[in-house]
Amino acid sequence: METQGQGEVCSPEILAYMELALEQAKHALDCLEVPVGCVMVESGKVIASGRNRTTETRNATRHAEMEAIDVLLEQWQKTGLSVSEVAEKFSKCTLYVTCEPCIMCAAALSILGIKEVYYGCANDKFGGCGSILSLHSSSNQPHDSGEVAQGKGFKCIGGVMASEAVSLLRCFYEQGNPNAPKPHRPVTLQPADH
Amino acid sequence: MTNEKTEVWKIIHIPDKRPISPKEQPTVNAFASVIEPKLANALIRLLNQIAPLEDMRHVKRIQKRHDESGKIQLSVILCLASENDNQSSNMPQNVQELINSYQLSPFIIKVCKWAATSREEWEEQCKLWPTSYHPPTYNINGITGFGEEDSQSVFNFMKVAVDLAKSGGGLMVNAAVIVDPSVQQIIASGHDQIYSWHSRTGIENSNFKQPASFASNPKPSGANHLTVFPNNLHNGPARLYAGVSCLNPWHWCGQQLDMGSSCYLHPLQHAAIVAIESSAERDRRLFPGLLHTVKSSEVKHMQSSCAGSPAKRQKINLAYVEDGKELDADSEVTSVRPYLCTGYDIYLVWEPCTMCAMALVHQRIRRIFYAFPNPNAGALGSVHRLQGEKSLNHHYAVFRVVLPEEVLNVAEVVARADDDNDQIATAVS
Repeated sequence: METQGQGEVCSPEILAYMELALEQAKHALDCLEVPVGCVMVESGKVIASGRNRTTETRNATRHAEMEAIDVLLEQWQKTGLSVSEVAEKFSKCTLYVTCEPCIMCAAALSILGIKEVYYGCANDKFGGCGSILSLHSSSNQPHDSGEVAQGKGFKCIGGVMASEAVSLLRCFYEQGNPNAPKPHRPVTLQPADH
Repeated sequence: MTNEKTEVWKIIHIPDKRPISPKEQPTVNAFASVIEPKLANALIRLLNQIAPLEDMRHVKRIQKRHDESGKIQLSVILCLASENDNQSSNMPQNVQELINSYQLSPFIIKVCKWAATSREEWEEQCKLWPTSYHPPTYNINGITGFGEEDSQSVFNFMKVAVDLAKSGGGLMVNAAVIVDPSVQQIIASGHDQIYSWHSRTGIENSNFKQPASFASNPKPSGANHLTVFPNNLHNGPARLYAGVSCLNPWHWCGQQLDMGSSCYLHPLQHAAIVAIESSAERDRRLFPGLLHTVKSSEVKHMQSSCAGSPAKRQKINLAYVEDGKELDADSEVTSVRPYLCTGYDIYLVWEPCTMCAMALVHQRIRRIFYAFPNPNAGALGSVHRLQGEKSLNHHYAVFRVVLPEEVLNVAEVVARADDDNDQIATAVS
């Protein structure tokens, strides 16, 4: 709802980064993972990529965004960046991800203070950038008068190459998730059939 | 409400919906009419066919009252009405026909939209129109209460989590313990590691040095170190809790710590996230073959090879399982690999933030127990309430465990002065 620019004509640059994110998603599909991928961009340069790795790790929190974030944190600190420099870096990062960040990832991106997010298809079941919660839009809660800023919002634009992202997901769910427990109901296409 | 100084353990269910005052329950409009008592059976049978009260099974179709003269008067609900529209002409055709043939005179009433969840709610509901109330029956989630044995087990595991959170000395952190309740076994645990991150890839095997306060095998000595826990968060010295990741998720960037080269910063390594990774690591270790069923003999064989590898061993945080028990615990593994944390419980000292609460949805945790509400960023009732987000594909049951004084070992510095500042208590009650 707060998400801007759904269906807008995107610049070639944005589309090019989303292509790279989709490549990551395809890679995930090849590895029998839910096909979601992302790239992190700073000053026009791709500085990290990630793809869903939940099956391989048996850790359902290892979403594409989390993978890319870990790459960045390790990389930056190996080069000796301080805490404040790390924070500064995140505030200049743009994320391109094939599916709307889930509630967990959206919260994580807010914690890190990322600059902006472009995503492909919406995430009707878990989305944290407008679908279920709107964690990107809130400057969260005035409860604490402490010196540190509470909840950081970020600019968020959805619908970039959404159909490509959806068709990858469709591929995955049609072949069935071999790792999920036996479904209670027949498998249907999900998520984001719209 | 007074400051929550308690002498006993208590388990409080945190429901899916924000609790509302019994007097403020949402209502919907309905058309009703007074009827002849002798027609009651026939009319109700007819109405249940032509205008069933879908999704409102708690609402009784008929109301029995005594009028001024003491005579019994019966009214029935004909059908639901929309919010602003009390035109009987908008009723379904067959209801109108019934009204005409029995010469009824419809009027608008209000009925409560949702079934009562407590006796108090039910009594309020019946002032509007009678409803039924079924005190919830026992189920595996323990929503309706815990038996003595189960309660004791909950308290014991929560104490493990509290001890883990205290292990940092004066600096408070959040701690998480994942438990398989069917065998009373600790599967994994973790505490906040925002400033002491082990990267999974690069630095795992390097000569990694942890800050002393997060030594991997902490001994909760109790007696000497300052252990201040908030029965009322706003009473305590705030800086003591500044290090609790879920309370202050955005705090990391304000820190002026000298990281040095010995440890990495990871602002997302909250206790629950650390514990989830630890349980996933255990899963990978015990069930290395992804899709084939591991026979228990294979598990045993694998354990012995793992036991010889201290590097792998130490990644599993079993610090609080007594030495002798560690191997026993592993050998209780069943031959079927669990899917993520299905069936497991997690004990957290603080109510998790949105990121952690959603992570626990993804990992399929069955029940969450936390000791202290998190008014800043809590996602299980304080700021958000993920257990009530219907669209999610998994739902856990949430409980707050109120701890007695002696477990908290509250130091005198927690002022008792502002008992009126009870934001925390009201956030959950």
